[in-house]
Amino acid sequence: MTLVRSGSRREVVSRGSALLALGVAGGLLLPRRARAAHDMSAREQELYAAARKEGELTWYMSHSDDATAQALGRNFEALYPPLKANVVRTTAQVAFQRVSQEIKAGAMQVDVLSTTDIGHYVYLKEKALLEKYVPENASKVLDIYKNYDPDGTFFVTSAGMIAIGYNTARLKEADAPKNWTGLTDPKWKDKIALGHPGFSGYVGTWVVAMRKLYGWQFFESLARNNPQIGRSINDTVTMLNAGERLIAGSGPVSTAMSSAQKGNPLAMIYPIDGTVLIIAPSGIMKGAKHPNAARLFMEYLLSAEASQIWVEHFNESLRPEVTPPPGITSAKDVKTIRPSADEITKGIPEVIKQWRDTFGV
Amino acid sequence: MNSAVLAPAAWRSALDRRLHFVEPGMALWLLLIAALVFLVASPMLRLVVASFQEPESGRFTLANYAQAYGRLSHLRAILNSLELGTGVALLAGIFGVPIAWAISRTDMPAKGFVRLMVFGAFIIPPYLGAIGWILLAGPNAGWLNKVWMALTGASHGIFNVYSMAGLIIVVAVASFPYVFVFTSSALDLVSSEMEDAASILGAGTLRTTFGVTLPLVLPAIIGGLIVSFLEAIALFGAPALIALPARFHVVSTQLWQFFEYPVRVEEAAAYAMPLLAITVLMFALQRSLLGRRGYVAVSGKGGERRMIRLGAWRWAMLGYALAVCLLSVLLPMLVLMQAAFAKAWGRGFALDNLTLANFRYILFEQTQAQQAILNTFLYAGASAFAAIALSLAIAYVVSRKLVPWSNVLALLCMAPFVIPGVVLAIGFYAAYAPPPLALYGSAAIIILGFTTRFLPIAYTASAAGLRSINPEMEEAVRNLGGGRFAAIRTVLAPLLKKSLAGAWILVFIPATRELSSAIFLVGPHTRVISVMLFDLSEEGNFEVLSALGAILLLATIAIAAVSFRIVGRDFMLRGS
Repeated sequence: MTLVRSGSRREVVSRGSALLALGVAGGLLLPRRARAAHDMSAREQELYAAARKEGELTWYMSHSDDATAQALGRNFEALYPPLKANVVRTTAQVAFQRVSQEIKAGAMQVDVLSTTDIGHYVYLKEKALLEKYVPENASKVLDIYKNYDPDGTFFVTSAGMIAIGYNTARLKEADAPKNWTGLTDPKWKDKIALGHPGFSGYVGTWVVAMRKLYGWQFFESLARNNPQIGRSINDTVTMLNAGERLIAGSGPVSTAMSSAQKGNPLAMIYPIDGTVLIIAPSGIMKGAKHPNAARLFMEYLLSAEASQIWVEHFNESLRPEVTPPPGITSAKDVKTIRPSADEITKGIPEVIKQWRDTFGV
Repeated sequence: MNSAVLAPAAWRSALDRRLHFVEPGMALWLLLIAALVFLVASPMLRLVVASFQEPESGRFTLANYAQAYGRLSHLRAILNSLELGTGVALLAGIFGVPIAWAISRTDMPAKGFVRLMVFGAFIIPPYLGAIGWILLAGPNAGWLNKVWMALTGASHGIFNVYSMAGLIIVVAVASFPYVFVFTSSALDLVSSEMEDAASILGAGTLRTTFGVTLPLVLPAIIGGLIVSFLEAIALFGAPALIALPARFHVVSTQLWQFFEYPVRVEEAAAYAMPLLAITVLMFALQRSLLGRRGYVAVSGKGGERRMIRLGAWRWAMLGYALAVCLLSVLLPMLVLMQAAFAKAWGRGFALDNLTLANFRYILFEQTQAQQAILNTFLYAGASAFAAIALSLAIAYVVSRKLVPWSNVLALLCMAPFVIPGVVLAIGFYAAYAPPPLALYGSAAIIILGFTTRFLPIAYTASAAGLRSINPEMEEAVRNLGGGRFAAIRTVLAPLLKKSLAGAWILVFIPATRELSSAIFLVGPHTRVISVMLFDLSEEGNFEVLSALGAILLLATIAIAAVSFRIVGRDFMLRGS
């Protein structure tokens, strides 16, 4: 019987990956420079020293697509060597499903949880499953991102927008719908792609916002247009790039713009009733195996370095000193709408049920 | 009075005597049964018990069943699974039986190539096939539809992979090799005499084939269809990729939904019961069909076999076989490779669309992929060794009748065959994830899960290998004074080497691609490629997915090929 204990396996694996990286990559990826000690605050130095003893952390992440998530993880590794970040990117509800499984099994694997459904944090906090830690950097972000939890168990670490995306090679801007309600026009039958609120926290929040604006009949009309339903909100961008659909009804601005930058024929319409702004938190799990690395990571998520990566991937900057490159539309340039934390917490479980009844899955 | 005083002493000497007679075999038997109870019986029992338990208190309840079956959509998912299974079984028969017949009984050309393609269809994981088919038959952007629209000028494609029919085709092209293997191994045993009798009486080739040959092997065909059916209803990956956009659920995707917050293991257990019951029933049916001794012609090896001359029809037959190969291997692999090396797959086959960025991303930029790739092959290899070691020991004990009731061991060993992967994983999660064992997130729970899942394959192969070896050779060693272990080491092991290497590969290949049981058992450090593919597929990022799939396929083929090579150099059994 080959029972491999997890300690020895990790060793084999990390040695194996080191070999792989050395042998094949050979300096293919130049890491950003490690953070010099004199650039660090006293608390940061202390956390870094303690985190080095822990060696790594595990981050369940649904704030962005996989590419942005991995870039954030790699940048953390470069700033604080030799710490390792295990970045597991899934949709919000799948991440929460894994966390629930871990809670139920009594074996917490995740250190920092970053989902896009604020209701998760309200629930976890209620069950005393979040650890209190107020990052130093929490006071240095823009005011609108401050103080979501006065008790200091979770903090806003990311913000992004949902608008209407379209394939510019197959649809002229003049013909594209100008507002959310335009999506229900019968001429878009079989042309729209959507994500799924049962997976994506972005989509869940968007559905709550739409229900608030137009009532559930909006989705009943939308269902008549037979949209293609994926899981992640980012799947809509794939559907546009492939030419499978023309319009991303729930279009993630950052993923679509990153993709457009790579040469794909994509553009966004910012609806007149308001672009949906998503504010997504992170928190440290109680019983995390790497508590100091987790704290350091929370500091990092709120740092200017992380905001720099966010704007490079067309998300919002949390820090006043980091501004998006000129010509990029950010939340301050358009009219935005946003359901309250309460509306989201109550609303998402409801709309998932309604969605399943209306769309069948 | 005397007897009372004497009793303990007498008892002790009786025990001594008995212990003296107990062969080490008895201890081995206990060890083996303990291993099997741990791997097979306990997780399944835990699952059945959980289905009757209140989540918090553990008290008896039927509420889980009421909730699991109280929703129309849950019942519809069961019907969908049955439709999927039936459709796949029939289509797999239509694909597999003619090809098996053509290869085994006729002079169709290019048999070697067709065989290779059937093997290829066997090693491609169904979820990769599904991704290939999404690229081929996506209603607007799929290659086949684009070709159709270009040829006819139509504004819509004609294929839609996001449908029940689409799902049936995708799963059938992955599972027809089962029908092929069952049918061709039975056809290989049918002698030409019966066919000759028919043709002497004036029947043509067609009439002979449908009136004599195929009825003779019907039990084997049905056996293959049943295996395809069972594979189809237990599958998780392909339905998750296709059924969701097609707006329907099957049992396995519905089971997954029970793991959404709040996790309802108990309800999932209750909902898994029909899947288990159907599988047990079908398996029993298959055994009784294949076990029938009525078909004398199939049981004997005597008789001459000649290939039927098809004349010009052999080209038509080859055309059909190639069409099946095209659907199952060539087309999906072609578009997957295109996507793996493409900047955006929708831009087509153009030089400026070529890139290695997808591979670079997977291998160097992704923080998890390197580890997932290593994990996949470590776990698959370890599981294959564990499953073979255990099943070989059991097969030996059973075939040499070393202990009473050895058949119980055999039965337990084969039991996982009737447990769908998703169900097995839920049982493992319920039994071993929480304390006292607290295996959640460990490599052990995955290796144990895979070992259990593939025990029947390992056991079938080990038992078949052992049956081919006459016990007299071991007895010769023992007559000359050697112990049983010496007999095993010097006689059995060298003789079994080849068949064990084959068995190892038979377990290793499906273990590298296993998704349905892995999805509930992985933690962040123990992710495997299949689960990573599944997570990445949420975003629909087909280029990166295809690159990772290509790595999985190439590495699997390479490791299988290398182990075949090394067998000759005593690699597999070194130290045993």
